Amino acid sequence: MSAITYADVNKDILQTMVRPKPAYFLVLSGAALMLLIGVLSLAIQIDTGMGLVGVTHPIGWGFYITNFVFWIGIGHAGTLISAVLFLTRAPWRNPIYRASEAMTVFAVMTAGLFPLIHVGRNWYAYFLLPYPNQRMLWTNFKSPLEWDVFAVTTYLSISVTFFIIGLIPDFAAMRDSSVGIRRQIFTLMAAGWTNSYQHWLHYMRGYLILAALSTPLVFSVHSIVSFDFAMSFMPGWHTTIFPPYFVAGAIFSGMAMVLTIIIPLRSIFGLEKYVTHHVLQSSARLILFTSFIVGYAYTTEVFIAWYSGVSFERSLFYFRLFGEFADRTPYSEGHQLGAPTLAFWVMYFCNVISPLPLWRFKIRNNLMALFIISILINIGMWFERYNIIVSSLQRDFDPFTWGTYWPTVIETGVTVGSFGFFFTMFFLFVRAMPSMAIAELKEGLPAPRKNKQAH
Amino acid sequence: MNNGTENNGIRRRDFFKALAAGGATAAVAAGCADRTENLIPYVMPPDNIEFVPGVPLEYATTCAECPAACGMVVKTREGRAIKAEGNPDHPLSQGALCIRGQSSLQSLYNPARISAAMVREGQDFKAVDWETAEKTAAERLRKAGKGRQVVLWTTNRSGTRNKFLDQWVGALGGTKITLEPLGQHNLRAANQAVFGRNELPLYRLDQSDLLVNFGADLLETFGNTVRNNRDFAAMHAIDEKRMTKGKMFHVAPHVSMTGANADEWVNIAPGSEAVVALALAARVSAKTGRGGEVRGFLAGYTLEKASQASGASVEALTALADEIARAKAPLAVAGGNLTATAQGTQTHIAVNVLNAVSGAVGKTYLLGAGQEIDNSDSFKAQMDLVARMKAGQVKALIVDGANPLYHLPKSAGVAEALAKVETIISVSSSWDETTRQAHVVLPSLSAYESWGDANPQKGVWSLMQPVMAPVYKVKASENTLISLAKRLGAGAFPADYKTYLQNAWKGIAGGSAEAWKNALQKGGVFSQTGGSGASLRAAGVRGNFAAPALTGDGLVLLPANNMRVRDGSKAQNPWLQEIPDPVSQVVWTAWADINPETGKKLGLRHGQKIRITSPHGMVVTAAFFHYGIHEDAIAIPMGYGHHGSGSKSADDHGVNVLDLLPASFDASSGEFAYVATRVKVEGMDEDAYFVQLDGNPRQEGRGLIQTMTLEQVKKKEPPHHGHHAMRERPDDFYRYRPRPAGYYQPYRWGMVVDVDRCTGCSACVAACYAENNIPVVGRERMWLGREMSWIRIERFLEGRGDSYKTLMQPAMCQQCGNAGCEPVCPIYATYHTPEGLNAQVYNRCVGTRYCSNNCVYKQRRYNWFQFEFEAPLHLQLNPDVSVRSRGVMEKCTFCSQRIMRARHAANEKGRDVMDGEITPACVQTCPTNALVFGNLADPTSRVAKISLWSDKEDEEKQKKMVRQYRMLEELKVLPAVTYLRKVTHKEIEEG
Repeated sequence: MSAITYADVNKDILQTMVRPKPAYFLVLSGAALMLLIGVLSLAIQIDTGMGLVGVTHPIGWGFYITNFVFWIGIGHAGTLISAVLFLTRAPWRNPIYRASEAMTVFAVMTAGLFPLIHVGRNWYAYFLLPYPNQRMLWTNFKSPLEWDVFAVTTYLSISVTFFIIGLIPDFAAMRDSSVGIRRQIFTLMAAGWTNSYQHWLHYMRGYLILAALSTPLVFSVHSIVSFDFAMSFMPGWHTTIFPPYFVAGAIFSGMAMVLTIIIPLRSIFGLEKYVTHHVLQSSARLILFTSFIVGYAYTTEVFIAWYSGVSFERSLFYFRLFGEFADRTPYSEGHQLGAPTLAFWVMYFCNVISPLPLWRFKIRNNLMALFIISILINIGMWFERYNIIVSSLQRDFDPFTWGTYWPTVIETGVTVGSFGFFFTMFFLFVRAMPSMAIAELKEGLPAPRKNKQAH
Repeated sequence: MNNGTENNGIRRRDFFKALAAGGATAAVAAGCADRTENLIPYVMPPDNIEFVPGVPLEYATTCAECPAACGMVVKTREGRAIKAEGNPDHPLSQGALCIRGQSSLQSLYNPARISAAMVREGQDFKAVDWETAEKTAAERLRKAGKGRQVVLWTTNRSGTRNKFLDQWVGALGGTKITLEPLGQHNLRAANQAVFGRNELPLYRLDQSDLLVNFGADLLETFGNTVRNNRDFAAMHAIDEKRMTKGKMFHVAPHVSMTGANADEWVNIAPGSEAVVALALAARVSAKTGRGGEVRGFLAGYTLEKASQASGASVEALTALADEIARAKAPLAVAGGNLTATAQGTQTHIAVNVLNAVSGAVGKTYLLGAGQEIDNSDSFKAQMDLVARMKAGQVKALIVDGANPLYHLPKSAGVAEALAKVETIISVSSSWDETTRQAHVVLPSLSAYESWGDANPQKGVWSLMQPVMAPVYKVKASENTLISLAKRLGAGAFPADYKTYLQNAWKGIAGGSAEAWKNALQKGGVFSQTGGSGASLRAAGVRGNFAAPALTGDGLVLLPANNMRVRDGSKAQNPWLQEIPDPVSQVVWTAWADINPETGKKLGLRHGQKIRITSPHGMVVTAAFFHYGIHEDAIAIPMGYGHHGSGSKSADDHGVNVLDLLPASFDASSGEFAYVATRVKVEGMDEDAYFVQLDGNPRQEGRGLIQTMTLEQVKKKEPPHHGHHAMRERPDDFYRYRPRPAGYYQPYRWGMVVDVDRCTGCSACVAACYAENNIPVVGRERMWLGREMSWIRIERFLEGRGDSYKTLMQPAMCQQCGNAGCEPVCPIYATYHTPEGLNAQVYNRCVGTRYCSNNCVYKQRRYNWFQFEFEAPLHLQLNPDVSVRSRGVMEKCTFCSQRIMRARHAANEKGRDVMDGEITPACVQTCPTNALVFGNLADPTSRVAKISLWSDKEDEEKQKKMVRQYRMLEELKVLPAVTYLRKVTHKEIEEG
């Protein structure tokens, strides 16, 4: 990076905000359309009732909670990259941390919508907040759902704070290079940043403290989300491996989503100079590592189900892996595949098999291969959550109540809408804010000297 | 909408007259059913009766859903009937009602009821004022003239009404024909032949120790099912004092709910019942020495021959015969559609012979007890009428509740016959296929808004009185008839039917006003009925006992009896469509039971759409693989396939099995031959749209419904179910912390369910719908699994082939002490009450459904939509129970409204609730007393003595218990519902 100067950085990064190509608008409108579909679907659902959604007895949770856990998982990579890798001084984080932090904020925002969407009386969702009221009604702090409320809101506020704090020096840079109303806005947001030594001193301290605060959240939030399942009775849910398994899965899916976003971003805005192969390779290594943790968790789950000897667990995992284990004679004889079986093997292939080629340097170094694998992992991780949530509810304790779940147009629409929401927000972000941290990119450059000016 | 609240202002005097007509002040007010009372909300205190808002008034009346006429008490609130319960003083129902009785108020609030007088205009009807309609009807009748060309087509009821109708038709010189699709003419004819008594017998199931059932649906529609269920439980449930238990054999080609309760099923070919019964009789006679007069005749019937004809093994038949010979009080019963063949009388003769030689007659099979539940004319008589109609000999037809267009097979040609009749006047209360063909409709009030009586058995006179002001401004059919007769100047009738009834009752209850009032309060006049034996007349035992000839080829079609919609007339009651058949768990439609082996041979699969063709018609329905059917037979439940009847819940659901049948009958009794044809079955390329509520037919060894043998009970050796290690070391799996001792004071509500007594009759389910304002969701939503019932009959199969067993038990919220639902609710919308209930606060619920996910019994129900109650069904809603809005979870809380009412009443008296003061709706109606409810915290209560629950999970107490178990005990959710294992004679193999 010796050829790059501070001025280059300013120019290259800030140009992402001023001269969008037509392609940008095309993608943005695509995302907005998806968002529109979601909003319409949701409006219909709220107007008519949860009955329009495929969840039923006994499968009380379906796509919505799957999406919730999926997006929360996505939201993990950002904080991991910005906080954990900051604390561990991994320099390859600098070019991608801003984008992944933005991704985190938007993913958590998306995730946070789903608990509101999936409840039957959305207009009373505020009951979940412990607000003082004259009726002396309080929330149940024993409920993992209540823990979720705090975990998610805490995580959202910390990541937003962290995100905005990190932006301050860059806002200053943007302030300096813009005019008119934009200048006024950025002036406000730069909070009087003058790039002074004093500012940097305090700024770096604050940033360090925030990073230290956020680090435990990386591990706690998804652990708490996993408690929604682990704290319950249901076979396939009631298991102690869930917290580490969910955290690893979250980092895994989050890193994959980072790659899914960074690779096109890098090409579209010509940022190859900054997002180097080294950065991508490091991410790929992390993906490979977490893939092994996830694969180990899958295996352990199945092994423990067998080893425990608990018939509920055994028959559930057989059902997940191979389809119907139950005796359904005289209605049907022989073995029958079920939709959860497909979900399980899609998950297994995408999350355990597909990252294996990353062992090879050539594959890690191949943008297209990385991109495809990252997409596959996204799919696989979505199916992992679907698999956990839906199949457990399909085959629980009382065989008389077993049922099946088929999503409807409405919840599929809302799911599409959630992707629309996320990408719309993200595309607006790359337009409105520097998608790479200008100040931190400069950290890696040689400081400009008076006697040896490059340009 | 509905009633006439829109005009005339408030005529509260009339309203209160009708209200006062029953109950405590019956004598004071002379309420008249016909005068159109307005339903008004309670606004001002009444001037002449004790009437407190919020306090229910109860009126004794009689259930009119079937001819069995159980006594009923209808609870009214602020002038509206809200719940029907059995009359505890009534000798037949003794406080219980069946599923249909529990749904009876849906007949009162039937959306298909006709709200005003109508005259035909082309294909449609025009509402006209009553006077015009009645005048039109009278003119048409006058034109028809007096004589045989006037026919009254009515339905099967007992009591004064029959006399009245006879008198009325007599005045017009016409004839009366009574239609009853489930007639018992074969039995009557057989009793005439064998015992010389033209009457129906009284079965004393409760006195018997061995029941041999030749296909009668005793516990479903045959006779008085409430009584049958109660007596069956008395006979068949374990007597824990004497350690005895009756036994039941089901000897039939099809197993419905009744057969599912049998200890053994002897699978015989359709039509071979007579031969089997005679062969059994031969061996029994040889062993007991009875029946010398027919021994020569019986010599021709060996068990080998019977085995050949029926397909049952000689060993099985021999064992059965020996059991009968050994039994102290055996009873053989035949009846229902399976024995209604062209040889039906012969089958009944054979079974009568068996009863005679086994010593049942005079002991468990009583004659002279005056069973009057079938007063119908035979099918032959209906066919004669149809022939007369076709020949143009009927000028005027008055349809009084009868629906021949549906109840007689298509091949009978009722449609063409009706078209030939110049004047059809309907006095039915709701729309049906036949009333749609009428020219003038003078709708009747429902039975619960009018006066009447019933006499289902000698000595049992049951009164009917209006329990509330009429929903619609129409007239009781009897009063319409009186009014028509007056217009025609025919006969001498009193001013209204109530007067007629009161006159008749002077001879029944006594002439005084006091006697009438007492009868009204009590629900009727009841006296003990005895019965006696009769000697066997050998001369009557003759004729052909071979299987009847059938038309067509293929599988024998068995039109199975239907517990829920009966003959189809109850298909208009949505609960009876929504509550699943306990054996098949199918809702809202018909299906075809096929033996899996037969199905495989025909290349069919369960749930496939099939085309069933007989020489007389064709239907398309779903193939249902059912072990409990002979390989050569196919069974379709009757009562579905209404079209154009005008009722949303009846129309276009399933197929009518009668469409496949010829109009043939038994020559000696004239009874319709239900088993009369063979059908061809072809698979179609698609799956049928039929909804089945069981998630899996088998319980996978999970011990949800447990059984043990009589031997094990005697030895006090309960079997072990579930995961061994989980039982032995439960703390290793699911830890729990019991609540501190004394947590539940003074109440901890709990229940005990005796699976050995439960027959699966589903009356509890209907009672729950009625009590708790549970919405009906319809077939489409049930397809998605969105049924709302708070209590269900869980059904599991064990074993395969002919020796399979059906296990059934009611399951409701178990009110766990360590519940899954409570801790996961983020906002305490569900919480543990100090009385141990897992309460649900609807207003607090936001609907995360987490509680339902975490309920190990999946007993919670979610309001997926804003469910609506079709007018006027909404008038039945129980004001004590909130109607839930969409998006909230709901569930059983042991009828907390009843608990609260009793608690408040006790508190006012300054004491605690005493045992037996609270009965949840399901417990109240259970005909077999399978459910016991009470306070577990009171060690002296009935329920605490037999429940596994105790304050601190007292293991000493638990170890002493033999039959007790809790569903999924190893999960340690500490349910408050204890189940008592079903006791079997032979061990049931799991799997």
